[in-house]
Amino acid sequence: MLELIFILPILTGLAALFVPANLGRGMLLIAALFHLQLTIMAWFGQLPVYTSDFFSAEPVGLLVLLLTSFIFLCISLYAICYVRETEMENEPVFHGCMLLFLGTMSMVSLADHPIVLWIAIEATTLVSAPLIFVHRSREALEATWKYIIICSVGIALALLGCFFITLSIDIAEIDVPLTFTSLNRVAAQLDPVWLKAGFIFIAIGFGTKMGLAPMHTWLPDAHSQAPSPASALLSGALLNCAFLGIYKAHTLMYLAGLGEFSSNLLIGFGLTSMLVAGIFMVKQPDYKRMLAYSSIENMGIIAFGVGLGGVAVYGAILHMIHHSLIKSSLFLSAGNILLGFKTKFVEHIGNLAKFLPKTFVSFFAGFVGISGLPPFGLFISELFILIGAIQTGHPFCAALFIFCLLLVVAGAAQIVTDMSFSENIAEIQGVEKYLRVFPPYALLLTSILLTVWLPDGIYTTILNTIKIIGGTIHG
Amino acid sequence: MSNIVNITMVIILLSVLLSLASNRLIALVKIMALQGIMVSLLPLLLEHHSRMGSGGLIFFQVMILIKGALIPGLLYVALKRVVTKREIEPIIGYHASLFAGLIIILLSIFITERLHLSLPKGHDLLLTTAITTISAGFFLMMSRKKAITQVIGYLMLENGIYLVGTALTKHAHTLYVVEFGVLLDVLVGVMIMGIILHNINHTFDDIDTDHLNLLKD
Repeated sequence: MLELIFILPILTGLAALFVPANLGRGMLLIAALFHLQLTIMAWFGQLPVYTSDFFSAEPVGLLVLLLTSFIFLCISLYAICYVRETEMENEPVFHGCMLLFLGTMSMVSLADHPIVLWIAIEATTLVSAPLIFVHRSREALEATWKYIIICSVGIALALLGCFFITLSIDIAEIDVPLTFTSLNRVAAQLDPVWLKAGFIFIAIGFGTKMGLAPMHTWLPDAHSQAPSPASALLSGALLNCAFLGIYKAHTLMYLAGLGEFSSNLLIGFGLTSMLVAGIFMVKQPDYKRMLAYSSIENMGIIAFGVGLGGVAVYGAILHMIHHSLIKSSLFLSAGNILLGFKTKFVEHIGNLAKFLPKTFVSFFAGFVGISGLPPFGLFISELFILIGAIQTGHPFCAALFIFCLLLVVAGAAQIVTDMSFSENIAEIQGVEKYLRVFPPYALLLTSILLTVWLPDGIYTTILNTIKIIGGTIHG
Repeated sequence: MSNIVNITMVIILLSVLLSLASNRLIALVKIMALQGIMVSLLPLLLEHHSRMGSGGLIFFQVMILIKGALIPGLLYVALKRVVTKREIEPIIGYHASLFAGLIIILLSIFITERLHLSLPKGHDLLLTTAITTISAGFFLMMSRKKAITQVIGYLMLENGIYLVGTALTKHAHTLYVVEFGVLLDVLVGVMIMGIILHNINHTFDDIDTDHLNLLKD
């Protein structure tokens, strides 16, 4: 049954809270493998849905699910090695919460009922908060508090948005089950005023979780304070889940004939996020914060692309896939650097190329990828979005888009080259372990592979997804 | 029937004003308990919810238990361990807060009346109450320094949203399983916030959010 995809990790996660740390590591890996297998079975339609009132296997959800599952497998490999080398007061909590996190994120990707979607997204906040607090420092405490308060309040607003959508059904006096699938069918009859109000609240609420500016303030703190495997998961998987909520609401708006309204909102949020991220990235003293701001920028690009419509939607979905792969790889490399140099500050790190050559290759390649240069997929996706922006008649937005990209690349390039080649006085305190070095490479290679050869199944899934909101591949 | 509904809503509005004016944290928790019970009772009293099965009754009992007893209980336990019991220097003073509360009520009435929103009939005061509770929750979070007051502000916000959700919308769509999930999320959220609160108190000997200023750009 389809529900197993999230029930399995949640149950294993709950169990992992109470078993010894060594057993917990094994459970992490085994659950990740089973999860990937179940996800692939779901892709081939092998898993029937039992509670179709609440869950369904929709193309865009399946895409996010597959991405989450694959990234989680790589991260769990890395985490096994990582936790052995760091001091954690309470390791079972880490394993348990990682698995619960996977479970709740899978629930998000399969949810079809707006309020179930909300429950799942709020649950991701709750189970990931202990992950950020795992190191128990003062900074971690502050980051966790900010994360849980800002995200909870933000997501509470999204609940209000969901209730407004319910209200729009009541007012139109139609009797349909409250699921996205059935709402999409009757979208044109819904009450437009409440629908608009609902979308604003959903965009602000889930936008907070997705890291769209100006509601992004929790993100750099949380991503920099969490242990690297958790940061990779937060950035590579969680942000997509929040995006899924906005995407589904946008689809509903488009079908209700209010696509222009929601598109403009998304374009505005997208460009603001890119600009804010670009400004804060220049001269950033902490490399994990730098990566966090880069996530904000990329989420902005995705929102911008979806808002533009047409070819840009295809670009946005591609961008989501490749950003997840490359960014989680970068966070894992950053974790290797942290274990090597024991500091998060750029100025205390130098000559990465000499000290940690394998990590250097993955970190630098990741930087090339995230900057949108070939051979990585972000090059293609950003190109699609740019073409989309010009085709749909947004030349000013396109110019701002390019400016922000340049700003971000300039900011990141300075930091990355400084870390890699400068003669800063730095001391190396850790060695590179195979198990920690391999996962970042695997993620990057997957991105390259998907750039040169996108499997037919994934390609048609993307096309089916974007077709609904007017996205095409042929201009 | 409609009298009881109105009285309940007035009690909710009063609890909002009281919470803005109170400087003792224990009193604030007690007010939240009262507000929680009233918010959970309100849907029961409304007419279009009167035909309710046993499942619905059990759900509302659980809801009163969680909102009226369990969550305030958790806050109470958290507060017992904390050194400071009073909010000494709020960012916005108590009289000013009370005045702001009155303005919020006026604004909510204005929004409900003037926007001509297409509402189900006879629910104008309900929307006013909901908007007031939501905005006052926000106000409480922004105008106080103690971390626990922020949690209480969040709860008030959640109560207001709940009013929109359970009272304003018809019950046919929202199944009890779903509402129970929402409630569970809030409960677990308060529990986790309580744990972090305990850690803040342990680390800084206080629950003032002013201490949380290490991370910035």
